[in-house]
Amino acid sequence: MPTANTEEENSKSELQKNHGGGGGFTRWAVVAVIFRLALIYFPGNLNLSSRPEVSTPLTSIRRLAEGYWLKQSSMSPYAGSMYHGSPLLLSVLGPLTVKSLVFVLADLISSILIRATGRKLQIAYRKSLKSLNLLNKSTDSGALSSGDIAALVYLWNPFTIVACVGLSTSPVENLFTILTLYGAATGLAPLAAFGWVMATHLSLYPAILIIPVILLLGYGPDAPPSKLFRSKEHGKVGDGKSSQEIIFSWRRVFHLLVWTSLWSVYVLVLCSISVKQHGSLQEMFQRTYGFILTVEDLSPNIGVLWYFFAEVFDFFRDFFLIVFHSNILFMILPLAIRLKHRPCFLAFVYIAISSMLKSYPSVGDSALYLGLLGLFLDELADMQFSFFLFCGYVGVSLLSPVMHNLWIWRGTGNANFYYATAMAYACFQIVLVVESVSSMLNHDRKLTKLSTSKLQK
Amino acid sequence: MRSKLPDAASSRKMAASSAVVAILASIWLCSSIAADASGSSSETTMHTNNWAVLVCTSRFWFNYRHMANTLSLYRTVKRLGIPDERIILMLADDMACNSRNKYPAQVFNNENHWLNLYGDNVEVDYRGYEVTVENFLRVLTGRHESAVPRSKRLLSDEGSHILLYMTGHGGDEFLKFQDSEELQSHDLADAVKQMKEKHRFKELLIMVDTCQAATLFNQLHSPGVLAIASSMKGENSYSHHLDSDVGVSVVDRFTFYTLAFFERLNMYDNASLSRLFNSYDPNLLMSNAYYRTDLYQRNLQEVPVTNFFGSVMETVHTDSAYRAFPQKNTPRETRIRTGNTAEDDSRRSILTDMTKAECPFTRIVSSLESKMETVGNLDSLVNYGLVMILPVLVVSVWLST
Repeated sequence: MPTANTEEENSKSELQKNHGGGGGFTRWAVVAVIFRLALIYFPGNLNLSSRPEVSTPLTSIRRLAEGYWLKQSSMSPYAGSMYHGSPLLLSVLGPLTVKSLVFVLADLISSILIRATGRKLQIAYRKSLKSLNLLNKSTDSGALSSGDIAALVYLWNPFTIVACVGLSTSPVENLFTILTLYGAATGLAPLAAFGWVMATHLSLYPAILIIPVILLLGYGPDAPPSKLFRSKEHGKVGDGKSSQEIIFSWRRVFHLLVWTSLWSVYVLVLCSISVKQHGSLQEMFQRTYGFILTVEDLSPNIGVLWYFFAEVFDFFRDFFLIVFHSNILFMILPLAIRLKHRPCFLAFVYIAISSMLKSYPSVGDSALYLGLLGLFLDELADMQFSFFLFCGYVGVSLLSPVMHNLWIWRGTGNANFYYATAMAYACFQIVLVVESVSSMLNHDRKLTKLSTSKLQK
Repeated sequence: MRSKLPDAASSRKMAASSAVVAILASIWLCSSIAADASGSSSETTMHTNNWAVLVCTSRFWFNYRHMANTLSLYRTVKRLGIPDERIILMLADDMACNSRNKYPAQVFNNENHWLNLYGDNVEVDYRGYEVTVENFLRVLTGRHESAVPRSKRLLSDEGSHILLYMTGHGGDEFLKFQDSEELQSHDLADAVKQMKEKHRFKELLIMVDTCQAATLFNQLHSPGVLAIASSMKGENSYSHHLDSDVGVSVVDRFTFYTLAFFERLNMYDNASLSRLFNSYDPNLLMSNAYYRTDLYQRNLQEVPVTNFFGSVMETVHTDSAYRAFPQKNTPRETRIRTGNTAEDDSRRSILTDMTKAECPFTRIVSSLESKMETVGNLDSLVNYGLVMILPVLVVSVWLST
């Protein structure tokens, strides 16, 4: 009993230490919001909302305005194949004249949620280390915890700022994804279900996050592999210490499924009322999910699909559509098996893979997983090639608009120039994912080695 | 043995005859269906646009009046609303800048010279030697080479009303083109039949001002065609008056009285075709104007002349770019004024009556939908639903902690 009290006191004192860091976070967050507002009300025209890196056919604000105008003219918002998003987004964002502030608010809330998720993860991490008797002073982080760092990375990432100022709808999509992760990490099944349903409704790809969300609610936040706890149990037989057995909580998963179905019925009913007048629900699915899955629009973006599908023969088009989409799908199961004890990190890997291989990627999607990367700084401290990746990202994000300008505006380049930067970007993303997964697994192996050596002592 | 051969022969004969009967019956069935379809198609399509093909088939200075005829009608048709994009003007165009023209670049149809027909804004599509029978038939049937520009094509569809006006020298079942070729009545009838097959017009008004013009329509059989000619077989069409200053006759009688009828009208008048046809006085024309209505299904008193000679389009002016139409406005209110509105409405109501379902499930769904319509604005319902998400979320989160 006294040991439990000291554990709580220790974690509380650590949290209080981080409150000093909390002041730092608030200051930087306020400066980030002011910076965004300054960019939005910049007297010149930054023209960010017409850049292909920022606005895709799914996230462009001009298409949303066109869809809203069509709806106001008593036509279906999907007439004319401009708008491909959710009709609920039309009702929310259409009439607003201060759209830009909505995206700044979405970024701010996302960063607060990332910070809260980071704190939960860090508490769980310390608790698991303590139960393995591996916690020592050297594992204390600096002034800012990993949650703070991740939130500030998300806020100050140039990708996020550009996506916010360029008025794409990806800050809203990112908000719902992060809300899902926050709800799952804190064990609030209705919140996680709501976030998942809305994120899937807005863009199809967060549907694969159902697996990490179920694992988060079942197993709890990220922890070292459960076999460590079991071997510890065997080693400490007769010592009377409470075991840290991780039992899969089916009750929470059941709650999650119930709330998911309730929220999805609610959203579908709202959508059907919204599109009833001039369209149908089937048309909505065809124009949103169908558009994402069949890759109808081949305008250039930072992804790798447009160039390929501009060249493929019609006979093979369906085959290659299946190949590209199952490229995301077939990685789900092996990663889930290997990383089931770290569901938050699993979510990060899923988000990174889908941001890279989705039909119409933009920098807003990359901003999401780069922000989430910061949550795992403790575990990924020994990641290889981190400097190489950082330079690579900076280089590609500078070179890609130049190649786009050369191709489209000056005419001295061609599509291959631009697609080369897109391929280089995909390579860097792949290296990032691979290296982060391998360093996470190395970290687990290190923990295993340390804990078995401690057991043998 | 004797019994078998006749049996085989008779069975073969029976099979052959039954096959012939079956083929004939199917042919008759197909033709009746086709006739039905073609007969009813012109009633079910909506009149959407008007075209004019104005052809002057003569050249040389002494045929000044034919070019003046055509240009006067061009001016009238443009004044009543048909734009240049939908007018095909075929002229020899050698009057205005002829070395014998005392008034260079000016063409008059009246000795008072009060109107210069060749002023600004005349777009001639086929000039000079391009006015041939072949080009005329190509324009009508739409069978051009691929290099022909759009301005020289008759781009009509199944909702078009076409006015075809031809003037020049003609005779018994022929029309002379540029003093070197002839257009015969069965050429014209053949072209019109092709147009009908290709659904290139809904209704066609052919107006011909030549000698013995009525004979040109002898071979016409296509439905939806109205034809009016300036003179009958054996009669000449005469010019109206001579302009002693220019030195030639400047207008023909038939066209002169046609223009006199139209000068009193503006775009929104609903003077009917029967009034136009009845306005021709044989004493003044010095010939009998002949009009052929047996191929035309509608009553001439109900058809306004602007159905062919003008183009009336209703436009709705809006100030703001984003508030074009209020939500309750249906597309029916902004339709072009056509003559068929009463029939279309009755046909539409018959269709809706037929599609009312008897199944109780659809009755429930339809009653729900009607109730939702009485709720008022669906958008406010959606907004209400979106706003309700937040308290539901808060309550659910509070319940689960």
